[in-house]
Amino acid sequence: MILYLLKRLAVLAASIAAAGVAVFAFMALLPGDPAEVALGVNATPEAVAALRTQFGTDRPAAAQFLDWFGGLAGGDFGVSYVTSSPVGPQIGDRLGVTAVLVLGGMAVALLIAVPLGTFAAVHHRNPLGAAISAASQAGIAVPAFLAGILLVYVFAVKAQALPSGGYVPLADDPAEWLRGLVLPWLSLGLVQGAVLTRYVRSAVLDVMREDYLRTARAKGRGALGALWRHGLRNASVPVVTVLGLQLATLLVGAVVVERVFVIPGLGDLLLNGVAARDLLLVQGVVMVLVAAVLLINFVVDVTYHLLDPRLR
Amino acid sequence: MLSVDGLDVHAGPVRLVRDVSFGIGPGERVGLIGESGSGKSLTALSLMGLLPEGVTASGRATLDGDDLVGVPERRLKRLRGREVSMVFQEPMTALNPLMRVGAQVAEVMTLHGRPRAEARERAVHLLGRVRLPRPEQIARAYPHQLSGGQRQRVMLAIALANEPRLLICDEPTTALDVTVQKQMLELIAEVAPALLFITHDLAVVASVCERVVVMYGGRVVESGPIREVFTNPRHRYTEGLLAASRLTPRGTRLPTIKGSVPAAGGFPDGCVFRNRCPHATEACEQEPALTGDGHAFACWHPAG
Amino acid sequence: MTGRMNASLLTGGALVGVVVLAALASFVWTPHDPTLVDAARKLHEPGGGYLLGADKFGRDTFSQLMVGARTTLYVGVVAVGIAALLGTPLGVIAGMTPRGWLSELIMRVNDLVFAFPALLLAVMLGAVYGADTLTAMIAIGVSTVPAFARVARAATLQVMVTDYVLAARAAGRGPGAIATRHVLPNIGSVLIVQASVSFAIAILAEAALSFLGFGTRPPTPSWGRMLQESQELLFSTPRLALWPGLAIAVAVLGFNLLGDGLRDFLDPKLRRIRAER
Ligand code: SF4
Repeated sequence: MILYLLKRLAVLAASIAAAGVAVFAFMALLPGDPAEVALGVNATPEAVAALRTQFGTDRPAAAQFLDWFGGLAGGDFGVSYVTSSPVGPQIGDRLGVTAVLVLGGMAVALLIAVPLGTFAAVHHRNPLGAAISAASQAGIAVPAFLAGILLVYVFAVKAQALPSGGYVPLADDPAEWLRGLVLPWLSLGLVQGAVLTRYVRSAVLDVMREDYLRTARAKGRGALGALWRHGLRNASVPVVTVLGLQLATLLVGAVVVERVFVIPGLGDLLLNGVAARDLLLVQGVVMVLVAAVLLINFVVDVTYHLLDPRLR
Repeated sequence: MLSVDGLDVHAGPVRLVRDVSFGIGPGERVGLIGESGSGKSLTALSLMGLLPEGVTASGRATLDGDDLVGVPERRLKRLRGREVSMVFQEPMTALNPLMRVGAQVAEVMTLHGRPRAEARERAVHLLGRVRLPRPEQIARAYPHQLSGGQRQRVMLAIALANEPRLLICDEPTTALDVTVQKQMLELIAEVAPALLFITHDLAVVASVCERVVVMYGGRVVESGPIREVFTNPRHRYTEGLLAASRLTPRGTRLPTIKGSVPAAGGFPDGCVFRNRCPHATEACEQEPALTGDGHAFACWHPAG
Repeated sequence: MTGRMNASLLTGGALVGVVVLAALASFVWTPHDPTLVDAARKLHEPGGGYLLGADKFGRDTFSQLMVGARTTLYVGVVAVGIAALLGTPLGVIAGMTPRGWLSELIMRVNDLVFAFPALLLAVMLGAVYGADTLTAMIAIGVSTVPAFARVARAATLQVMVTDYVLAARAAGRGPGAIATRHVLPNIGSVLIVQASVSFAIAILAEAALSFLGFGTRPPTPSWGRMLQESQELLFSTPRLALWPGLAIAVAVLGFNLLGDGLRDFLDPKLRRIRAER
């Protein structure tokens, strides 16, 4: 297990480094000189050269990369060529908001999918189970931002019960913070919950056909007791993999949902960065999001190993 | 002790087991023989209340006065694993892969009220009793670390844990190697309280059981003490089955029974064996009753 | 080996058929010019030649939906095409040399690309080159490559241990011949199912990208942008959000069901290999 963990950590580190090279190569080695762009067409060559030295863009690409990538670990994402402010703290501020959004969305998805998927599997022969399957199939076809718009229409426009957007920091007003997050969480969670319900259903159905469930019943457990004690953990093994993929999907979904609800998260920062052509900022946010996806994959793999003794 | 009386098993309109009756006395070891499709496994599962979804049993079966058929699940639950236990055919999949073996043995005891610590301790003792080497170590192992034979011993330990009155074994050795099979059979014969042993293998029945019940087409066609049935079979199906299994001195098999077992619901009326029986006459279109004390059979034109 | 028609296949096929028909019809006829701005018809109510009404610029919603179907299918076809053309050979190579360094390299790079969702790729491309239909298609296509490669690899691994491949190898056939004569024909059905599922995801991605302004540029109609434009009018004219939203859902549902149905219909042998979402 320790050996596996070390090996998997090495793969994670290598992947993040490779992703760093890819992002850097794509964003930083492009035609167009940030110093010239920053100073405009009327700048003197001396001023451009001086700014280049200040930016560090006159050095070889490899040195620039190592500088940038080495700084990431300490939260130093460089200083924006456009706004002249450091990128790191901006990302730090926004990261928490997006994390809350994604984790809340995931929680909603799990709260929907685990009971509904299990129920649909246990009752797969009767109409209610089939109806859940059909509803989840339909839910998959709705993108998160569309769900967001529909939710705004129902809860903000019609019922006027919740704000249609905006974000109040937790420290300012916890109640408003929560009210503002309900619809974004639901937008992300309902759709992912629909997807997840299908996986939970099929995982539980598979487990229900297993011999060891019959063994558990032969020991004197009822059908549901056997499923609870012996089925759910086994069913969670395939579901965990899907959860990881979903977290990654949610991270991206959050970018769009932040736009729908005007929430100042990473996605909002990213899109603003693109609008301002602040390449270093875009580069930094992309790197953080990609690293998060890789980290999620890592956690999923390790969880998988912890859950299933056959892999140890 | 166990008495089965007029047991029927249905899947919707299809009758899979018809009017099966037999009994098992305390300490008695009874074999239930039949090909696949004969209804022998369904008979066993209905005694456990573990029939698959959509399949139902009716009739009467009691174990020392406790009803086993037609009673609510919550009453059956209390009997399963305590008064009557079962070992299944496939040891590779019958254990939960994510749970340590010791915990799986202990579970059947805590489930029926034994304190956790005591159950843990007794689990190790039971693993030793089914002759698993180094039981403490096995208790901490996961199923995938054990061989098929070892896993089947674990299943046996689970079945014996609460000292049940009846043990049901459904082809418990079919999936095992020949050498392992023999040890397993000896072990079962030794530890079983009263035994209902289900198999298609005549040699296995002969080595374990005292009495045999032969099933075909969902019915009991013959039953009696094993020596008598095997040396002097009366029903034509039993006769054919024995002939087919007996090896000639040169080791070639005698011709097997003509034709093949019909699909469920496809058996003829009257004598269910009628369409394959070389001795069938018009009389066989009527259903023959199971008659005879001790050695009973249901055939209009019995052998011998 | 073909199976029976099933409900998923029929429903999915019908929904996809509606979208395709709308797209094809839009080449020759739409009720109105979908890009024609006319202040006089601003927020025209449904009816009177405007089946679903008009938006704040007076553009006919129904016509926009028809041409939007075209945009969606166009992006989907190119993106899935990119993914299939790149992913399939990579997956087949990885599956035919399961223990080689090449296979290892392919799968590692695959995992890395997998960490770059379509949206991030599109945003990166957009930040550098300016976003349009092309960057959206490339981003969605590249991000879908890993799904194809994985599925192709899994299917190839299964085909490689079948008797006829073993016989062909014993007869001294080269890897190229085995790949084209045995592997590709046998994994074809799995790839078709994957293509259908990937198409559904491509539609979702395209909608999200044009919603954010990283997809097809105005004035070409696209469902995602219709939704984005409708958002500010949600209080007064919710129907503007309803129709493009419904169109997206119908198209995605159609391709998902079609994928499920095709899996059951085409090849029961390889059903264990699930399409990657
Ligand atoms: S009753 Fe008739 S058909 Fe049945 S076994 Fe006896 S002889 Fe054969």
